[in-house]
Amino acid sequence: MVSQLLRDLTRIKKFDLSIAIFSSILMIGLVGPMVYQVNPTKMIGPPEIPPSDKYPLGTDSYGRDLLAQLLHGIRNSIYIGATAAAISLAIGVTIGALSGYKGGVTDSSLMLVTDVVCALPSIMLMMLIAAYLKERNPMLVALVIGITSWPWVARAVRSQILSLKSREFIYMSKMAGLSDSKIIFQDLLPNMASYIFMAFVLLMSGAMIAEAGLSMIGLGVTRGVSLGMILYWAQLLESVRRGLWWWFIPPGACLVALATSLLLLSTALDEYFSPRLKGG
Amino acid sequence: MLIIFALPRAVPGNPLSTLLSRILQQAQANPELVKAVYKRLMEEFGVGKPLHVQFIDFISRTLRGDLGTSIAFYPRKVSEIVATYLPWTLGLLIPATLTSWIIGNILGALAGYKRKSAFDNVMLPVFLTLSQTPYYWLAMILLYVFAVTLGIFPLGGGYSSGRIPSLTLEFIADAASHYALPFLSIVLSAIGSWAIGMRVMVIYELGADYVNYADSLGLPDTKLLRYVFKNSMLPQITGLALSFGTMLGGSLITELVFSYPGTGYLLFRAITTLDYPLIQGIFILLISTLLLANLIVDFVYAYIDPRIRTGYVGE
Amino acid sequence: MTLLEAEHVKAYYRVRDGFVKAVDDVSLHLDRDVIMGLAGESGCGKSTLVNTLMLNIRPPLHLIDGRITLDGNLLSKMDKQTLKKKVWGILVSIVPQAALNALMPTKRIIDLVRDVIRAHMDVSDAEILSMARRRFEELNLPVEALNMYPHELSGGMRQRAVIAISTLLNPKLLIVDEPTSALDVSTQKQVLRLLIDLRRAKIIESMIFVTHDIAVLRQIADKITIMYAGKIVESALTDDILYNSKHPYTCGLINAVMTPEPEVRRRGLMSIPGEPPNLLNPPSGCRFHPRCPYAMDICKREEPPLIEVKEGWTVTCHLVALGKR
Repeated sequence: MVSQLLRDLTRIKKFDLSIAIFSSILMIGLVGPMVYQVNPTKMIGPPEIPPSDKYPLGTDSYGRDLLAQLLHGIRNSIYIGATAAAISLAIGVTIGALSGYKGGVTDSSLMLVTDVVCALPSIMLMMLIAAYLKERNPMLVALVIGITSWPWVARAVRSQILSLKSREFIYMSKMAGLSDSKIIFQDLLPNMASYIFMAFVLLMSGAMIAEAGLSMIGLGVTRGVSLGMILYWAQLLESVRRGLWWWFIPPGACLVALATSLLLLSTALDEYFSPRLKGG
Repeated sequence: MLIIFALPRAVPGNPLSTLLSRILQQAQANPELVKAVYKRLMEEFGVGKPLHVQFIDFISRTLRGDLGTSIAFYPRKVSEIVATYLPWTLGLLIPATLTSWIIGNILGALAGYKRKSAFDNVMLPVFLTLSQTPYYWLAMILLYVFAVTLGIFPLGGGYSSGRIPSLTLEFIADAASHYALPFLSIVLSAIGSWAIGMRVMVIYELGADYVNYADSLGLPDTKLLRYVFKNSMLPQITGLALSFGTMLGGSLITELVFSYPGTGYLLFRAITTLDYPLIQGIFILLISTLLLANLIVDFVYAYIDPRIRTGYVGE
Repeated sequence: MTLLEAEHVKAYYRVRDGFVKAVDDVSLHLDRDVIMGLAGESGCGKSTLVNTLMLNIRPPLHLIDGRITLDGNLLSKMDKQTLKKKVWGILVSIVPQAALNALMPTKRIIDLVRDVIRAHMDVSDAEILSMARRRFEELNLPVEALNMYPHELSGGMRQRAVIAISTLLNPKLLIVDEPTSALDVSTQKQVLRLLIDLRRAKIIESMIFVTHDIAVLRQIADKITIMYAGKIVESALTDDILYNSKHPYTCGLINAVMTPEPEVRRRGLMSIPGEPPNLLNPPSGCRFHPRCPYAMDICKREEPPLIEVKEGWTVTCHLVALGKR
């Protein structure tokens, strides 16, 4: 079944393109640091050199190799993005499913919580929380992003559950005496698998951008490199005003490419999974 | 409210000591004086008191409009500080949001209408990419290209240093040239997401029953387009309300890139110095502005959609 | 006198795996002042046919072949702009399926009326208003409805409003697609009454009434045409179809409807076994042969010819051709 799915998906051009872009960057991020064995945080050369043979992407103000930074950065950014997305997904799906399935008081109270978190602009919330953490490792950053980005997922999952809830097969499971959690996990969620996957893709794209945002304002990982952090240093050290284009252009471009390919992927999936009723 | 209050307090670290150490460095005071100053400061900031007292204090003072005194900018009051910086942020944010919304929607509608045409095929990837481009990165690029390399626009700040804000034509022109790039970077990247949303709505509406029916009655295409546009706008208006939060966040960071004297810049400073009252104050003001904006949009939406106006409950 | 003549019309839907032959070589003839019912199972192509007859076609539906003439105008050769200006709304109008959704939720009834009239005539607002009022009064529709939004009207009222709007400019032919399907019986009566009034008042000349409910056709139709799997199988006067049908499918259809008529009841309750065919790859020969209790060898191999039993009565069946029925 999965192979059929993949075969049909690859027929869609958008899918191929987006997967191609994303995985190539991913590969670069995963394999790169192993191939290009330069330490991104050590000073290894003269500062602020434009791209050259010895330093393919030049160096920053501290004399660190920017290509190394980029490679490590890609890896970390993707890691944070995926982790944050997973966290958001877990929270959102659980809350949405419980809310939609149980209804009543559970529903109202969970939705109230969702509304509150939803109303607070997530960026600000992230900034607020991150500001008060002394030491931020990638996991923590992912956590911060994760616990602020789930409301829309919860809402969407809830409405899907609501519509699935009244279907026959659920009724039969209930009659058979299956416990609530079994019903949720075995019957309802697999039916929404396509949507859940799409949500993950979108969450990940948003999370990567959020990570960059947090980093820019000084609230990113305290140690280590990520695409956002590269931009942060670039900004802090006035690279733009001093014309050091090789510093801030590659990381940003990578970020945009990653996020856009993910977005494209989600639209490709959407096209496949929601049958077009109106032709054209 | 509670969260805003609770979070800062929950964090270890005493900002007063930071302030104190700074004062000490400057004053080289003797220990007696230091203790006295410390005590005085503690009272002023209520840090020594039990938590619930602090909270009550906080609420009552906020309601009275007194947002406390900034620690880093001591002794200026928070409300005063924010008031100086806020207008710059709003002046950037509001026109930028509206402009990108209007232009984005129009472009998106065009792309949706001319689906599968050259226009759409080119613009769609552009929109997609733009929508995912962080404002601040775009800002960096624009800054680099136009300010550093081409020198058309100034390098940063809200106005040239040495000038004093006033309502003279000269100042306004100067501020405008400083305004251009930040404005542009926000508008350009926001257009992306509006355009995509509108395009999808338009495509969907074009296939709707009422459009087909009107078409079959001989109504001209231009008329149909107007119908579609009008109906596609409704969700976009809601979207506008929801987007304030995101745009605010993005623009704050953009301010950093341009050293634009807005709330973002202020927030950055506040975070680095752990200036609780200031951070709180900024957040409160920003969030209230957000809520206010949302409220306004809700009203507008209710007015425009006749279903809500005439008390439509549901079929 | 002929109002509409359709000859060998083919309209297919293009899908990924081929063509769905929703209307496959259909010929139809409609005189003036005739109400024709078009009946058949869901998915047999009725809606596609009537939309094709007025050339209301959008991709993925394409007109592959055929001539369609309405009131002397060759529609099948016209481009969309001409159709919109000269034909739609003025010569022929359609009341679509689920007309309840055909009204834009954010516009009042009078707004749509205004737009329709303005699209074809140059008149002032005041005149439009009085035209609308007069028409509504004439049709026994509440004039207050003009100022309301669709969601403020009941389902039946919306249906009648749509009918009124479609006939504002007195089209010669009115096509109604399943107008009674979503309504309760008393509302159905109101709608049928409205349609009958339209003809009586000479606002329209002829009508094609699409439905899968034969019982309704008995009350309003002069002629009935039966469609199956993209083809017309029988077409005759109402009474002939109801009591003397020749095509096996028609018989099955009539019998499947329980009516308290002694004649029909006598024949017993028969439902048609099997399922409607796939129009992507229809059966060979006569499309009904897999489900026909009287199917012969030739039915599997060759498409049946059109037989004119009597003037105005056509059947497409081998059995009839060979005189066996």
